[in-house]
Amino acid sequence: MSGKTLAAVAAFCLFTLFIIAGTSHAASPDEAYNKTSSALYAKAKQEGELIVYTVWDVEHIVAILQGFSKKYPGIKTTYWQGRNPEIVTRTITEFRANRASVDAILSDNAPPVLRAAGAIMPYETAQKEALLIHDPTMPVVSLQVQALTYNTKRIKAPELPKSWENVATPKYKGMVALDDPMRAGPLSTQLAALKDFWKDEAKWSAFVKGLKALNVPVHKSTSAMFRLVIAGEYAIAMPALLHDVMNEKEKGTPVEYIKTATPIVFPRYAAVYAKAPHPNAAKLLTEWLISPDGQATLDSVGREASRKGFPSKTSIENAYGTGTQPVAVHDKLFMEDPQKWLDMHVKPIWAK
Amino acid sequence: MILTPVVIVLLQSLTTTRLATYVGFTGENYLRVLTDPEIFSMMKNSLLYAFGSAVLGTGVGAMLAWIVARTNTPGKALVELMPLYPLLMPPIMKNIAWILLLAPRSGILNNFLQQNLGMEEQVFNAFSLSAMIWVFGLACVPLGYLFLLPVFLSFDPSLEESAYIAGSRPMHTMMRITFPLATPAFLSAFILNFLRGLRSFETPVLQGSPAGINVFVAKVYDSMSMEFNSGLATAYSAILIVLSIAVLMFYVRATRFSERYATITGKGYRVKVIDIGGWKYFTFFAVFSYFLLGIAVPFAVLIIVSLIPYYDYETFMNFFAHMDLSNYRKVLHHPSFVSGLYNSLTLSLATAAITVMAGIVMAFTIYRTKVYGSKVFEFIGTMPLAFPPLVLSVGLVLVFIGTPLYNTLWALGAGLFVAYFPYALRNASGAIVSIHKELDEAAWVHGARWRHVFFKVTLPLLKPSVAGALFYIFIEAIRNIDVAVLLAAPGSEYGPVTLFDYFRVGQWGEAAAGGVIYLIILIVAVSMAKFVFNVKFSL
Repeated sequence: MSGKTLAAVAAFCLFTLFIIAGTSHAASPDEAYNKTSSALYAKAKQEGELIVYTVWDVEHIVAILQGFSKKYPGIKTTYWQGRNPEIVTRTITEFRANRASVDAILSDNAPPVLRAAGAIMPYETAQKEALLIHDPTMPVVSLQVQALTYNTKRIKAPELPKSWENVATPKYKGMVALDDPMRAGPLSTQLAALKDFWKDEAKWSAFVKGLKALNVPVHKSTSAMFRLVIAGEYAIAMPALLHDVMNEKEKGTPVEYIKTATPIVFPRYAAVYAKAPHPNAAKLLTEWLISPDGQATLDSVGREASRKGFPSKTSIENAYGTGTQPVAVHDKLFMEDPQKWLDMHVKPIWAK
Repeated sequence: MILTPVVIVLLQSLTTTRLATYVGFTGENYLRVLTDPEIFSMMKNSLLYAFGSAVLGTGVGAMLAWIVARTNTPGKALVELMPLYPLLMPPIMKNIAWILLLAPRSGILNNFLQQNLGMEEQVFNAFSLSAMIWVFGLACVPLGYLFLLPVFLSFDPSLEESAYIAGSRPMHTMMRITFPLATPAFLSAFILNFLRGLRSFETPVLQGSPAGINVFVAKVYDSMSMEFNSGLATAYSAILIVLSIAVLMFYVRATRFSERYATITGKGYRVKVIDIGGWKYFTFFAVFSYFLLGIAVPFAVLIIVSLIPYYDYETFMNFFAHMDLSNYRKVLHHPSFVSGLYNSLTLSLATAAITVMAGIVMAFTIYRTKVYGSKVFEFIGTMPLAFPPLVLSVGLVLVFIGTPLYNTLWALGAGLFVAYFPYALRNASGAIVSIHKELDEAAWVHGARWRHVFFKVTLPLLKPSVAGALFYIFIEAIRNIDVAVLLAAPGSEYGPVTLFDYFRVGQWGEAAAGGVIYLIILIVAVSMAKFVFNVKFSL
């Protein structure tokens, strides 16, 4: 055997060993879940309890906690439900008073604010490879997906806007209902996401100015606005949430979403409270929610999956087609202090 | 108990900033409030909305109370209950129903007029200041009615009879004699409705913001929901406190010669109703009209919405073809619909009883004793009403968080007590002023002690007011979400959370179904109490 051949064989053997070694360290998300959850479950059972604060509907949280208890018996679960400002206010007040009152917080807007106040215990999920959006301190268990939605009785296909920025043209004056861009709601989230995504200040400013120039009703309640679009008061909702649209379509409601408008996504977290009395139970809940079993439970109540390629009716792949890249919100300032972000970026244009 | 949470939140406004960060003494929050260029226009909208609603609600309530108490309007038993039923419907349900009725393009009334009468213009607009006043004003009527009814019922008829003898006609007598004598109770109800209007948020959010009508209280909510700064929210609320003090000072000044307004005197008399002749059919029609607009029409809209898969005018008008019960099935299978309602029942009963009694004791102390500085309690007792519920909740949480009472029913009960005490106090104040001091004085002269005067003289005379206040506070407390939310312990829902959840997430069909079930339970309970057990809500 020549020296060259020997060197090639040695290199091949080394490469194979490297691959094997690499594979054995980077376990698949499912394997990582099995391993982590076994260790967490043993400790969580000793803790014996799990307290959750959530913004999600009571029906949803009850179904989720029932699914969790079925998989992991022996852990008593209780929940408290409130809106985001109430969750932030209650948790921060308890945190400042040094109370070990809650374990996990399931919400969208509240966890980043609580993290900024130091009230969140950083926890990185073992299944990070499986996620569409990953945050190393708070596991993303679901996504809030925004869809450009219209009433099929009020506007016909040829007249439809093709993208979000299309809506900001005079043609749609009198047809659109806007979520208030000056509150921490879906439209301001969209503006934060698009600003980051376009990286084109002029384009972004023109978009906000275009929306303002429509001079259409501005709603502080996105859910009421969506109902009025269904009722036919407006033709286009700017924006609506994908799970609401899918839900309504199943009932035969005259709404549809525009697939050419890129979906905008905002993470829904399961965060662990910094002074959690049962931290292992909280971590186990977050891991279970990301697992295929947990994602199926979320899907059963109509919540969007956060796992890549998860087959659900509200998944981005299913709703928009394979390969669709959503636009996500990454702006730290927007997530932690929406008022400051809006005052800096939107107010100078909107309040003129 | 009332002052502590109020003082704590006020202190927060001087010591804390964003995310409840303690910074020592600071005037930053107040500086921001005072330099905010938006507050004047917002306050103008708030004042117009609150004043309009309070005038409409208290005025109509007073008229209805006079009709029920002082006239021979036919159908007495029904007429007495009709103004009370609208109270049973939560305000947000009324908002949704009226939006569906009055929306410019999709509303039932505009579409009906366009399709049946060929009218092209949109006559009604749910998203306008007048529609906001209409909807919230209708919701203010029961409070005016309940505050004025006991006054008219215990009215010494000799005052009116003197007017008749002098040749005055019934309507003239009503305007010149009857109503002026009811001024304290009217002002009490008016102040409460006005303050409710100033801090009301749902109607402005749902009906005002689409028309660009932003109210002052939105600043408080933005401070809480976007800046998470309860100190700033309290600083904004301080403006509401100043306004509350101003209207209360007006009240105290207007009723400072309380003897002028005493309608219950030591003279023996029988309460008589006035024969208003043919007008009695008109007064019946007036009561019935309020019943229709206050509850029957919005209730009918909600019933239909609860039976169809989604609302649009076409589906609404052809509801027989689209009818199904899926919304009801969903609500009844909801994990906390029944338990939430049940949990709140006992606590609301206890809250109503304790709050009303405490309100009477305080009003008695203010108006019937010579305790130094007792007048100041008139302001302190009404102060919780100046705070938007979430701000008040924070104060209550801070009171209890360091104690073993936190996360217990006691803290929740105390929170409800603080939230509803202003209603009990204002009700009792208005009623006590209408009782002439000569009755107490007669008892004092005969050697009675204060407790004898209170329990044997004042309390029995206040019975009609007590019944009305009990009923009102019970109904309000049973559906309270805002104050209770931060004080409810994990695992124990309070109130019909489900119902409000559905409204919040925009599932109006399910919300309407839940609302219909909730209303039917309450209407049956009230009707049974009246007709089967002969409970007197007002008489």
